[in-house]
Amino acid sequence: MNIDKDLERILRRVEKPARYIGGEVNIVRKDPAEVKTRMAFAFPDTYEIGMSYLGLQILYNILNRNPDIYCERVFAPAPDMEALMRGEENAAGRAQEPARKLYTLETFTPVSEMDLLGFTLQYEMSFTNILNMLDLSGIPLRAADRMAEDPDAESWPVVIAGGPCAYNPEPLADFIDVFLIGDGEELLERICLEYAAVKESYSKASSDPAKAGLKLTFLRRIAGIDGVYVPAFYAPEYNEDGTLGQMRVTDAAAPEKVRRAVISDLENVAFPEKNLVPLIETVHDRSVVETFRGCTRGCRFCQAGMIYRPVRERKKETILDLAMTQLANTGHDELSLLSLSTSDYSRFEDMAVELMGLCRQQNVALSLPSLRLDSFSFKVLDEIQGYRKSGLTFAPEAGSQRLRDVINKNITEKDIYDATRQAIELGWEHIKLYFMIGLPTETYEDLDGIAEIAKNIVDINYQIRGRKGGRFRVTVSVSNFVPKAHTPFQWEAQDTPADFIAKHDYLAQKLRIKGVTFHYHESNTSSLEAVFARGDRRICRALEEAWRLGCRFDAWTEHFDEKKWARAFEAAGIDPDFYTIRPRSTSEVLPWDHIDPLVRRGYLEEERQRAYGGETTPDCREGCTGCGMNRFTECFRGADRSSAIFKNAAAGE
Amino acid sequence: MAKYVIEFAKTGTICYTSHLDLMRIFKRVFKRTATPLAYSQGFNPHPKMGFAQPLSLGYWGMEEFFECETEGEWEPDQLLQRLAEGMPEGIELKRCLPADHLTRTLAAHTVAAEYMIAVPAGAPAEENRKGGAPGDAPAPGDAAVEQDPDADLSDPRSLWHSYMDLDEILVWKRQKKKKEPKLINIRPMIREMTFQLAEDGALYVDALLDGGSDSNLSPELIISSVCRRFGIAADRSEVSVMRKKLVFDKPLEELLS
Repeated sequence: MNIDKDLERILRRVEKPARYIGGEVNIVRKDPAEVKTRMAFAFPDTYEIGMSYLGLQILYNILNRNPDIYCERVFAPAPDMEALMRGEENAAGRAQEPARKLYTLETFTPVSEMDLLGFTLQYEMSFTNILNMLDLSGIPLRAADRMAEDPDAESWPVVIAGGPCAYNPEPLADFIDVFLIGDGEELLERICLEYAAVKESYSKASSDPAKAGLKLTFLRRIAGIDGVYVPAFYAPEYNEDGTLGQMRVTDAAAPEKVRRAVISDLENVAFPEKNLVPLIETVHDRSVVETFRGCTRGCRFCQAGMIYRPVRERKKETILDLAMTQLANTGHDELSLLSLSTSDYSRFEDMAVELMGLCRQQNVALSLPSLRLDSFSFKVLDEIQGYRKSGLTFAPEAGSQRLRDVINKNITEKDIYDATRQAIELGWEHIKLYFMIGLPTETYEDLDGIAEIAKNIVDINYQIRGRKGGRFRVTVSVSNFVPKAHTPFQWEAQDTPADFIAKHDYLAQKLRIKGVTFHYHESNTSSLEAVFARGDRRICRALEEAWRLGCRFDAWTEHFDEKKWARAFEAAGIDPDFYTIRPRSTSEVLPWDHIDPLVRRGYLEEERQRAYGGETTPDCREGCTGCGMNRFTECFRGADRSSAIFKNAAAGE
Repeated sequence: MAKYVIEFAKTGTICYTSHLDLMRIFKRVFKRTATPLAYSQGFNPHPKMGFAQPLSLGYWGMEEFFECETEGEWEPDQLLQRLAEGMPEGIELKRCLPADHLTRTLAAHTVAAEYMIAVPAGAPAEENRKGGAPGDAPAPGDAAVEQDPDADLSDPRSLWHSYMDLDEILVWKRQKKKKEPKLINIRPMIREMTFQLAEDGALYVDALLDGGSDSNLSPELIISSVCRRFGIAADRSEVSVMRKKLVFDKPLEELLS
């Protein structure tokens, strides 16, 4: 593809220009004039990160299979590209119109000319990039400004957002026209087709005034579909103490509660076989097959464990076929499987053995993330990693059995030490441990437990390898607990940044052990993440303010600017503490209560009570724990119920 | 096992990929088209393939060369067709030659390369004719030639004399280990050069430069020294570079027979 001179000039000055040119292998080419709906799929981070995200490949494939839809891609320009797009002269005082508007990689069409613009919300710290991408497209930030009676205003794309962060949509509600909650495969395609239908009926109506209502007509038409949340149809009302009073429905087309969309049958939903293959190196550049969706373990801090229920599997044969077809169509030399817990796939052992054989034949490296470390996994890992063993990872999450019971992380110290012993005997020299601090009920004794585990692992190595211990290393990584919506811990107070810092310091002291490295996560980003994870609609002002002050790429430590955020909250009149360190009562109306994840709210409350009692809840393969999912869909569809994991689970492992 | 040399062109937006990117792109085409490459033996096997000369990011390449060793044997045309189907837009495979008789790599035989450099020079002369600000510390790539006040941008012949008659064309070059750039004379590495003025006012510089492991001159140094000599203030982003061809120490046919 050839591009104009102005863009050439920009690309010659920018770092990694191939981020902005498309042209990858398996890119979809269509004549835009021949389709009914054009959509830009937007990932609010750089190309290298967005292209590593499987959801993009899934939706790109599904939408583009439909001859009436053309799905193109757009990513957040890096700061150097942004400056050039805005025109250098205007870099200081921001230009009203960017010198070069944000464009899609498929056709270099300005994003503002699309019918739909869909953002994926994978992490809260990408939110300022969404505003920036709207602005770089020349699209007004606020949905209300795009809805004006002025017929010209109707030409703006409908701005959509979906993904895990859409489960608490309010911090973005002012900027987004439609949130899609839940599985996107069927829902997004349907939305594109509904839009085509509305547009068609309007193009038949000749007068301009009729056209003025296109967006509103479209929003009303889709508002009743499961998974569709149109924030303009809901008005929050607040109590005097600042808590939410109610979320008032303001349009007859909108339901009281928005039910999440669910794909019941994963086996028969389309999965990409001709993945886009980037021309440049990305974070993950490999073939990937999703083996199943959902997780049965019920860790109480984990949002994914709640919002992706129930477990739904693909057939083993389908997975193997998809893997081989993808490898053939992409030329990748690495294959990975995706799920929330690889070894929980019901036919895991058979599948792993077959995959290993196929990969060996084809010189393809197999990577199996998040394995449960039992003897089978060790056999598999030993074989696929050979003499080049990467680190072995455990995520005990908490340092004491008491706290692990509170969070329902069913891993014991014996599990860890047994696995460590095996690993060391098989030649692993690096053990990585993941913990979270700031969990509900945590005390400093629990932190001592973290150091103890690290120390004991080092000692086990000495026992096995002798006094010198070889090059053995233990890495302890600590992240800060961020309470998330739709989890049993959604009512909990987060630690203050000072608490986090004190705990980091304490751990740094305790972990001064030879052979142990300690990493921790910045506390300020964790607090900010917590504001957005449980924020209400008033947060939108702070977000916009922060963006105006220049905040971008907040997930990147080199770009995160704490002072600008503090100024933004102040200017917006918002106290972040209200959202982070304040405990909520279960009677409080939460900003996401009108979003129904299909897991009962009562279940979350019960789980919270059990957490306080230190009571664990077994894996639901042992027996239903009553989360409520099965009121709407079948659990374990496609899974082999005679599989050992069901039996082991039933026998209490 | 069989060896081949493939001639290809790299044009359009894909030129914004780097040499390393291109290596990966080619490697994957072989996988994708089920055309297994031969692998080196040893602890860390790698496929036997390579380019005659890396092409800088942003440059177009019209006659580039790639060599490889495949596991199976192919009719050269058949191999060309297979691989062509798997190539991304912008990589055009032009011909494939059997290369079993090639003993050293093509890279070892590459001695020079011809470039076409397009510099916009049509803007008002006075405004354009400023040299680098005096007193600035030299940066790698800066030219240290004197500006020629008599250079007439409308007269390519005078430009040729003004530039090529110089005994020394000094340019600051980054040194491998030391921090400070060093002055080097690039004149001996320039084999041929022509200047042409296009209708749109752009100055086209056609340059045949040393290019190989013994002596190598980057066209970037031609750009900076030409602009400096003639007082052209064009920004680097306005300059396009195309590599027209590679020159080997012997004709390719001879190398392959």
